[in-house]
Amino acid sequence: MNETSIRQMFEGKWTQGAIPLVLLVALLLIIEIAAPGFLTGETVSLLFANTAVLFILATGVTFAILLGGIDLSIQAVASLASVILAQLLPSLGLAAFPVAILSGLAFGTLSGIVHVKLRVPSFVATLATGGVVTGLALWVSNGRAITIEEGGRENTAWINAAVAGVPVVVLISAVIGIAAFLALRYTRFGRQAIAVGAGEPAAWAAGINVDRTKIIAFAASGMLAAVAGVVLAARLSSGSPVLANQLLLPAIAAVIVGGTAITGGLGGVARTAVGALIISIVRIGMTFVGVNIFLENMVFGAVLIAAVAITIDRSKIAVIK
Amino acid sequence: MTLIPGRIAAVFGGRRWRSLAPLAVLIVLCVLIAIANPNFIELRNLVRLANSAAVPLTLAMGLTFIILMGSIDLSVEGTLSVSAMVVVLLAANDANGNDYGWWAVVAAVVAGTAMGFVSGLIQTMLRIPSFMATLGMWFIGLGLSVYMLSGSAIRLNDASIRDLALHRFLGLPVAVWVAFGAFLLAAIIQYHTKLGRHILAIGGDEDVAKLSGVNVTRVRITAFALAGFFFGVSGVLAAAQLGQSHAVIGDGRLFAAVTAVVVGGTALTGGEGGVVNTLIGVLIVTVLANGMILLGISPYIQQTVQGLMIIAAVALSLDRVRLRIVK
Repeated sequence: MNETSIRQMFEGKWTQGAIPLVLLVALLLIIEIAAPGFLTGETVSLLFANTAVLFILATGVTFAILLGGIDLSIQAVASLASVILAQLLPSLGLAAFPVAILSGLAFGTLSGIVHVKLRVPSFVATLATGGVVTGLALWVSNGRAITIEEGGRENTAWINAAVAGVPVVVLISAVIGIAAFLALRYTRFGRQAIAVGAGEPAAWAAGINVDRTKIIAFAASGMLAAVAGVVLAARLSSGSPVLANQLLLPAIAAVIVGGTAITGGLGGVARTAVGALIISIVRIGMTFVGVNIFLENMVFGAVLIAAVAITIDRSKIAVIK
Repeated sequence: MTLIPGRIAAVFGGRRWRSLAPLAVLIVLCVLIAIANPNFIELRNLVRLANSAAVPLTLAMGLTFIILMGSIDLSVEGTLSVSAMVVVLLAANDANGNDYGWWAVVAAVVAGTAMGFVSGLIQTMLRIPSFMATLGMWFIGLGLSVYMLSGSAIRLNDASIRDLALHRFLGLPVAVWVAFGAFLLAAIIQYHTKLGRHILAIGGDEDVAKLSGVNVTRVRITAFALAGFFFGVSGVLAAAQLGQSHAVIGDGRLFAAVTAVVVGGTALTGGEGGVVNTLIGVLIVTVLANGMILLGISPYIQQTVQGLMIIAAVALSLDRVRLRIVK
């Protein structure tokens, strides 16, 4: 190992992992200085609760991005799950939850199979499955938002409750975050996923079942998107085919801003947690500073491009298309 | 499993069969729908068909050049809504006192071109893949237009611009002729200019193109700006057709445009296909949408059908020999 590679190690991966965390702390300090008393238990728990859906969605798409792919169908899958939940709660009660979540698993698996078996690039495969799913959601709901009525709300109340002062949504996202973290770090699937993202030919040559790993990753992405959709529907007491449409960009931005490279192999769920908090705080900060809410998309678009430009590993792509 | 589509294609003569397949699909589709509902071939319906193909055709012309390079432009909806916003706010409208007439149209097309130009700069100068660069530009454009419109719908009152959709020339709305003009322009650019050939060369093999002396960066930026130009024109057409601009004017347009290009037979890997393919692709998508309405199928299921069409078309057309890694 020569000098340059040591320098690269410090300048590259290590600092890239730390920058988002530093940014998060800096943002928190700025807000605390601008509005003393922000960092109280109550506002922080509100911040976490408001970040929960975004984080769950971003955790799912982290799997796809870690492999060097992308999942553009998450907002559609989340919306479909919300529609299914709202539609089935009156008849099935609590059993509507697993049905909605399994729909996400099914469409995530479909994305993975289309991507892998038909050898379609993931952004097109998921754009297509996203369209399929949106069409189904529109069809099932007749293009309307479905309100979860009084009877159904009994079954969603637990999501909006709090246990020992901690909102249940925060607990759900914490459980999902920890499970995803452990799955990536300590299971065979997790290691193989990172290996595939780091270098697919090498992973393939080492005997890793690349296809299966990819399908599992996309299935996980779809399932977590559905979980996010269910939680969102419970919080808003409504399901709609466009419910999560505004969440695709922030979710991808959260992953990239957290320091996961779109070239794959570098990053993880912990980084996504930091990224999701940054996005949430920036959003609150913008309202606070008085930036027009309609400009939010513009800011996130610019942030996304900047974050990609910083985190991307250009040595891994021969031709940038 | 991965070999089956390729094998089927080989049975039918590989490449040559594939290049004729979209046309065959279009004809079969037309015949089937006409049998199921004879109203389909009524003149009134054909005019309606041409009218609803105008915006997607213009959009897809721009997108074709990008896909021919092996890239993608996801900013279709953002650029279209910026252009529609510019034309509505600068021409006579019900929100401010502007009345610049056709200068508003020029400004809108310039705005679209500028958006594309920026996408091209971001992709080549920051060296990030086009799907990420244009994903960012999509939401930048959307945010900008929604902000400028203050989140509401603003009516377009300029009669001469509205005439694009309302006035008829030889039985067809002017917008259809504009779209046809866009097609001719795109065909000339692709088949008779250096830029067109260079775009194809880059899509075929970027390294070889570079070694042959093609200025890849310049061609890429020009191609994105050109796509922005077409998106800008279609933004004007969309605003004229709707008579207003609002936050969701672009909704679903990206999806329809990608479907049209891909179904027409232009390969996502680049270097194969072209604007004539896209014309057929747009007709397939529009005929299918029209046919589904005539057959009484819920319009909500349209996106589902389009999504399945993308998957089928891409699966059948990808030249898999060239693809070792698919990300």
